[in-house]
Amino acid sequence: MVVVQRKELTLLERLYLPEVVRGLSITFRKFFEKPITRQYPEQPLPKDAVTRGQPRLVVKDDGNIACVACGMCEVACPAYAITIDGGETDRGIEREPKRFDIDMLRCILCGFCEEACPKDAIFMSDELELADFSRAALLYDIEKLKRPKSTLQKRIDYVYKLNNRWRRAP
Amino acid sequence: MQDVPELVIWIAKIVLIFGGMIATAAIMSLAERKVSAWMQYRYGPNRVGPFGLLQPLADGVKFIFKEELIPAGANKLLFRLAPALAAMPSMLTIAVIPIGTTAVIGGREIPLGIAQLDIGIMYMLAIGGLGVYGVILGGWASNSKYSMLGGLRAAAQMISYELTLILSILAIVALSGSLDLNEIVASQREIGDWNICTPMGVLAFVLFTIASFAETNRHPFDFAECEPELVGGFHTEYSAMRFALYFIGEYCAMTVMSSLNATLFFGGPSVPFMPDAHWALGVLAFLIKAGFFLFLFIWVRWTLPRLRFDQLMRLGWRVMLPLALFNLLATGAWIAFTGDH
Amino acid sequence: MTKINVNGRDIEVDPKQPLIRACHDHGVDVPMYCYHPGLTPVGSCRICQVEVAAAPGQPARVVAACRTPVSEGMVVSTDTPKAHETRRECLEFLLKNHPLDCPICDKAGECDLQDYTFNEGQARGRSSEARRKLQKRKSLGDVIVLDEERCILCSRCVRFYADVVKKPQLTVEGLGSRSVINTFMDKPLTGNYQGNLADICPVGALTSKKFRFQARVWNLSKSLSTCAECSRGCSITVEALRGKEVKRFRPRANEAINKWWMCDVGRHALAPVSLPLAPEGSALGGRLRAACIRGYNGLEPAELHEALAVAADLVAAHPRPLLVLSPFATQEEAGAALELARALGSRVCFVAPEPNGMKDELLHTGDPCPNRRGLSQLGCEALSPSAVIEALKGARSALLVGERVLETVGCDALGALPSALRLVVFDVVARDLAALDACIAVPTHVEKQGHWINVDGHKGVLNVAVSAPQGVRMLDASLHALLQMVRATPAKA
Repeated sequence: MVVVQRKELTLLERLYLPEVVRGLSITFRKFFEKPITRQYPEQPLPKDAVTRGQPRLVVKDDGNIACVACGMCEVACPAYAITIDGGETDRGIEREPKRFDIDMLRCILCGFCEEACPKDAIFMSDELELADFSRAALLYDIEKLKRPKSTLQKRIDYVYKLNNRWRRAP
Repeated sequence: MQDVPELVIWIAKIVLIFGGMIATAAIMSLAERKVSAWMQYRYGPNRVGPFGLLQPLADGVKFIFKEELIPAGANKLLFRLAPALAAMPSMLTIAVIPIGTTAVIGGREIPLGIAQLDIGIMYMLAIGGLGVYGVILGGWASNSKYSMLGGLRAAAQMISYELTLILSILAIVALSGSLDLNEIVASQREIGDWNICTPMGVLAFVLFTIASFAETNRHPFDFAECEPELVGGFHTEYSAMRFALYFIGEYCAMTVMSSLNATLFFGGPSVPFMPDAHWALGVLAFLIKAGFFLFLFIWVRWTLPRLRFDQLMRLGWRVMLPLALFNLLATGAWIAFTGDH
Repeated sequence: MTKINVNGRDIEVDPKQPLIRACHDHGVDVPMYCYHPGLTPVGSCRICQVEVAAAPGQPARVVAACRTPVSEGMVVSTDTPKAHETRRECLEFLLKNHPLDCPICDKAGECDLQDYTFNEGQARGRSSEARRKLQKRKSLGDVIVLDEERCILCSRCVRFYADVVKKPQLTVEGLGSRSVINTFMDKPLTGNYQGNLADICPVGALTSKKFRFQARVWNLSKSLSTCAECSRGCSITVEALRGKEVKRFRPRANEAINKWWMCDVGRHALAPVSLPLAPEGSALGGRLRAACIRGYNGLEPAELHEALAVAADLVAAHPRPLLVLSPFATQEEAGAALELARALGSRVCFVAPEPNGMKDELLHTGDPCPNRRGLSQLGCEALSPSAVIEALKGARSALLVGERVLETVGCDALGALPSALRLVVFDVVARDLAALDACIAVPTHVEKQGHWINVDGHKGVLNVAVSAPQGVRMLDASLHALLQMVRATPAKA
């Protein structure tokens, strides 16, 4: 059993007033220190490869998205934010999404889709701001989700580095 | 200047002093947030106007346009009346505070104070004591358990500390020998005459300051609101301008208490080492003194944690009251011994 | 019956069935690719290998369960390390050339190769050579596409044509790793049973052109139902994407009716159950919402009770209306219609279109009335569409009841009827017929529960696969509501 021994107070401490003055002096000193607040819209948040922002579809250098509508991210999504309808395409990959919707209001930015994707088609971007005037505007379709590979390269490299760590394991 | 009717001067004084107090309340609402922010490494409001200076204006607009809700089962008359009752006493009591000595404008002598009452302090305490009604009626009329408890606590607390407040003032009255605040000011012309410079004055000052915190329901004695226990206390159910009125009342009460503190213990408009200073300098000195005590209100709020209610009561009845009685007795003995005044 | 011991459990099995069937019947899981209960076992994939001893205490050997007949006292173990090891090695060879196509492949999610690979923990291959490159999109006729790379040469498709359809069209051509499935002389596949190839293919080599890339199979909600295209009433599964859009019909094993198969006509009959809704505020141009009645500007959408009131007025004004049932009406709906007919004193018949010449020796009966037998048993008279028109000519009012009833009677013939006749129709789609006074929406056969009786007297069950559009009431409920109104307002003498 833990017995907490109350601290014996000295007379000065019990008088309370000197302690009040001490407290006041502490707050008064803090008065002149520099604020640590970040002025958010003017000073944006620091972003790095580990920043897990909103998921985005990679547009490869040939102008196509890498997604084959396999539905793995749809299954992995714990918030049921992703809806994919596939369709046939003449490209070598045979199948591509005709509809790829992410309901950004549902998305919890967990990154499971990125982890589930077997085709390196979806990655977490560093885009964090999300606000609009209607719910419909936040239901992102393929066109809104497309991002050139170069803008996501930092994250892609980071994810590869992470994955290599366990790939090396026997 | 000589032929300006007395009434015009009166009205001018009322507008200036009363308007000044309302303005102080507005500034205090901003200062409260700014000071707390600076003490916590923050910026505070800085979006509305330069350095957030227009924030009180924005708040005012917001309060006016908000919907006013009256809870079901509330006593509608008292519910509407209570905020006014809470704000009114402090606004009335500013009338007897001399914010300066006598101004001389165009050869005409104008006493700086709305009213020169022989029994200024009596008036103050009598009217100030009514403030408790606003709080307890607001709490009762809301038909809410939190409001009710908040109102009850406020009443108990204000009555307990009013005794100490009055007794500590009485010591000063005894020292100065007058109930007229102008007389009290006049008796402290030089810095050595300030009541704070007497041993009884120091104790009276400490007791008065603590009691004034309790009287205005400020931290660390803000049991009437006490968010963790009572949601918002007596004003839980209030919204929009009625809610704002409670706050204006609170800030006005703080202004009055600060002014009184400056007047009773620090010579009011007396400028240190310059007993014959110009009257305008005196007003400035008064404002600086009162301003410091206003700052002290905020400073203490963001430093000390709230007491427990039993601690508050024990402090009031078992520490403050005996001390105040002792102080009054000691003052009497001092006067009898020295034969001062 | 023969007594054998499987995994330490004594069971009694049919001596005519192979060992794998005995195991499956008794809940013992033995993987299979080339074996199919409806086809001759050939033992080509070797994935069903289990350890078998002729008798307790005898040395155990690894054999293919699909080619091993059961014998008295046999001791079978499917779960021993040796059996697992043999199957795992076998799997590794099958995966040697199987492409990593799962994200694209339609079979993913219901693929035997995927499932057993997952079960056996075969996460990576040891082979360093490149996989073989073959044709990825080879069309085998109008129904089936072949992906040669994915094929594991189980020959189920070859045997299906040889054993079930009995008109061989497919063969394995080429040698060794270049063996592929092909049709004779590269001719496209023919016949009414091509769709079954996509079902029996254990991998994603044979896929249906109609279903290709339409949906991921785990997004399909499946419900038991019955095919509506002929009086055989094959047992099927209706699969709807996210419970909303019917994507495919697949046969479900029923030894009494269709075994494991169904015809392409039934398989591809998705159009009647995926009609788009009529535009808002309109009664025509799609599926009817709730109901419609004849107003000043032709047919106007109406509330269900308004249309029922029109119907009640009509039968009150013109007693003894002719009641014509659709051949798609379920037993339950027909029962409600008969009850109504008794209250009205009507004659009840159902439209029975002529055989459509699709009849074959396997499943299709050529009779497009899925519930002909059931309706006849209930005492409804079967009338051909022309006979129905004749009967309508002699009537002053009629109720046409059931899904697709206007279509089966013939809209042109109905349009040419004398204008003295007044019609109330319960159908999926409203038509702007001069005689039509009110039309009440009904659910399609994938949106309701009920029963059909097939040509042999077997009961076929219908279940709700997708919910009916908002406002569409079940037909038997609408008929009951009409019956209540009829009873409340006695017919004029």
